[in-house]
Amino acid sequence: MNRTLPTPRLPEAGATASAPAQAPRSNAPWRRGARRFLRNKLAVAGLSVLVLLVLFCFVGPLVYQTDQTHTDLGSALLKPGEQGHPLGTDDVGYDILGRLMVGGQVSIMVGLAAGVLATVVGTLWGATAGYVGGWVDSVMMRIVDAGIAIPATFLLLILSAMVKPTVPLLILVIGLVSWLVPARLVRAESISLKQRDYVVALRAMGGGHGRAVLKHIVPNSVGTIVVNATFQVADAILLVAYISFLGMGVQKPSTDWGAMLTSGITYTYAGAWWLILPAGLCIVLIVCAFNAIGDGLRDFFDVKGQGE
Amino acid sequence: MLSTKRRALMAPLAILAAASFALTSCSSGDSGSGDAGSAKDTVSYALPVGTGPNWLLPIASPDTMATHNSAIKSTLFVPLFEFNGTSGTMEWDKKASAAKSYEFSDDKKTISITLNDLNWADGTPLSSRDVEFWYNLVRFNGEATGGYSAGMIPDNITKFETVDEKTFKLTFDKVYNEDFLLANQLTLVRPMPQHAWDKTSADGEIGDLDRDKAGSKQVLDYLFKEAGDLASYATNPLWKVVNGPYQVGTWSDSGEVTLEANDKYTGEDKPSIKTVKFLPYTSTDAEMNTVRAGEVDYGYITASQMENKAQFTDNGYEVKPWDGWSITYMPYNFKSDSMGKVFSQLYVRQALQHAVDQPSLSKVVWHDAATPDYGPIPQTPESDYLSQAQKDNPYPYDLDAASKLFADHGWTKNGDVLECTNPGTGADQCGEGIEQGKKMEIVFTTQNGSQETDNMMATIQSAMAQVGVKVTIDAKPLDNVLAEAQTCKQGTKCDWQFVFFGTAGSWYFPAYPTGERVFAKDTKWNAGQYDNPEAEKLVTSMTTSTDPQIAQKYSELLAKDLPVMWMPNPVYQVSVIKNGLDVGHQDPGASFYPQRWSWK
Repeated sequence: MNRTLPTPRLPEAGATASAPAQAPRSNAPWRRGARRFLRNKLAVAGLSVLVLLVLFCFVGPLVYQTDQTHTDLGSALLKPGEQGHPLGTDDVGYDILGRLMVGGQVSIMVGLAAGVLATVVGTLWGATAGYVGGWVDSVMMRIVDAGIAIPATFLLLILSAMVKPTVPLLILVIGLVSWLVPARLVRAESISLKQRDYVVALRAMGGGHGRAVLKHIVPNSVGTIVVNATFQVADAILLVAYISFLGMGVQKPSTDWGAMLTSGITYTYAGAWWLILPAGLCIVLIVCAFNAIGDGLRDFFDVKGQGE
Repeated sequence: MLSTKRRALMAPLAILAAASFALTSCSSGDSGSGDAGSAKDTVSYALPVGTGPNWLLPIASPDTMATHNSAIKSTLFVPLFEFNGTSGTMEWDKKASAAKSYEFSDDKKTISITLNDLNWADGTPLSSRDVEFWYNLVRFNGEATGGYSAGMIPDNITKFETVDEKTFKLTFDKVYNEDFLLANQLTLVRPMPQHAWDKTSADGEIGDLDRDKAGSKQVLDYLFKEAGDLASYATNPLWKVVNGPYQVGTWSDSGEVTLEANDKYTGEDKPSIKTVKFLPYTSTDAEMNTVRAGEVDYGYITASQMENKAQFTDNGYEVKPWDGWSITYMPYNFKSDSMGKVFSQLYVRQALQHAVDQPSLSKVVWHDAATPDYGPIPQTPESDYLSQAQKDNPYPYDLDAASKLFADHGWTKNGDVLECTNPGTGADQCGEGIEQGKKMEIVFTTQNGSQETDNMMATIQSAMAQVGVKVTIDAKPLDNVLAEAQTCKQGTKCDWQFVFFGTAGSWYFPAYPTGERVFAKDTKWNAGQYDNPEAEKLVTSMTTSTDPQIAQKYSELLAKDLPVMWMPNPVYQVSVIKNGLDVGHQDPGASFYPQRWSWK
């Protein structure tokens, strides 16, 4: 069996014999990537905003407790600051600040899960198509082309009208309409990677196709996959907002930021800004945050910068 | 990748920009005003979404029963009797009727009717023969006509007798309640110009073809064929022979209709507006945008826009809710496999009704564009048909009373949900067919697309949760809800529990609000299959009894027996009317009378 033997590292010039031989910490690829990520101020700001929003949505309710299950018509449409509601109340008396937190949980959970689902499905599909090639690739990619030709929002609205929208269903449906773009990207990577020596060597040694795809193609496409995943999450959050805005999202008493926006838009002309601005701002912030993080991650995985 | 990212960044920013724009707009009190109202002899009227008029012939075909066909037809062809609420109460509107007077025979089976001095546009006077013409066409072609109901008019007329040119007698198969006969039956009679229409082709000869079955069928086929060509309504000589205050100016396939004042009109209901335009819309948003632009004189807004009233008043409109002569309810499915036995218990229905806070829902959720509804008789406007029991609300909002009813009948909370812990048929037990451990978990199948309905259901869900009743809301498009409501009647699966289709009111009545089409045991729209012999007797008596108290007895029994869950009754529409346009009292019967509109 042909094995690759570990090559002993030589001490760097100038190192004393007493100092243990080691690669300089500052030159580890992930550290260089991290430095590039941190140099991207937008990415750092995005990460900070994301962390804050996650804390706000998931830890916030433990600190600021409100009843988001029972309506209170006696407290409907209170202005910010009235009767102990810092951001006011909505048209059935739910506290807006508390609702932002529970709505955010749904938006983030659905966005993340759908984004991950889309990435996983898209990655496997694209890697397989690119690696196998030939007619299999043609058939698989025509399916992708056909899928892309159908507007996702349109498909989602039809499905939402047919079945009762729930969080798992939203994740599944958004995930299954969002995998097409990552599939294309990963396929392109896969076509390039399958011709690399280590893949050819693996095949020459009798390695299986599955091993080639899962152990070599996919791991070496991780940069593309991870960067795209962040955009997928951002897109998924927007999609949730879109369909909720159109009244096809989760049912009350559950909510998400898009649903809050659509409930509040009715009262825009009445000057009830607190019904739309906070939810709208949260959507903008989280989507921008994911996009900025994606930008930073692209820097992180950028091989051109490895010589820095 | 970069372009994708840019797009992704742009999307949320676009949302923010849109929100900012909307907020900015709301601070702008002075908005543009259209010029539609500047021509003071014209009024533009916005038709409700999806109700484009598509038929002009006084006899409808079964597939042309669009809501506003009838109202528009009445301005062209004066009905024999017109009942409406333009005076503030539902009553006979003599000015809008072809009948001048009537008299019942001693045995109450025959009515003698005298006609007004109306002329057709070609100068021929309206006569008894014109009423007979309608009668013959409908009696010989019953099933082919829209709104036909076997056993009702014209089937229940046993004899038509012409006394003279202006007077005729109708004899009925039995004695009917006088209000029922006048307001619900004779209002369907529409005299038609026999001297111009009794033919089978455009150049055919006028005769008495309607007096035998074969001839009458040919005449109706011809009239239906002509009426199917909407584009010819303004030019076809047939439709020029009108006797109402208006005649057709234009009529498009899309449902946009213009009526012009009929110079030859000889009745008392003379129009002051020369031209009336009816504008069809495909969505409420589109209609409201037209209103915001000031391009419609008489339009509507959604109930939730009542919160934004100033936006419309600042734009030169008066906001005026239009009450409907209707009731709104949510049927129980008494035959539901899972919950039918539970709903059959009166105490369960009483407890659930106690959890519906109608005054608050009407005020907050419907923004005062709905009124509480506690029984089978419309509560606005008030009428002699309304019982004191219904008016007083037998089951006011009281969650303690609801909890007590369940506790007194063997239900105990297990966690958050009530569970039957004392099964049996005793006074303190759950009731027949309810087994040990049965949970109070119910599903509301409701129509979607309405913020008011969503909020109302969420509020009821919340109140019931406090009692221990777990409610799941399953919102669907209206057509799906209506189809599901009919599943039990069609003998297919029957497991819906509640259906709600009342965002615009569940049921509109003719002037005499009988329940034979809603609460009678075998009628199609008794979707939940309510079956109470005592109620059935009253429902039937409503149409035949001469007891003046019969309607109140019916009102009281059904208010207390809860065949359905009574819900707030939304207004017909929240109208926005250009300042200076006087439309009088809006008819709760959901009709309109443009001849009475005027610019001040």
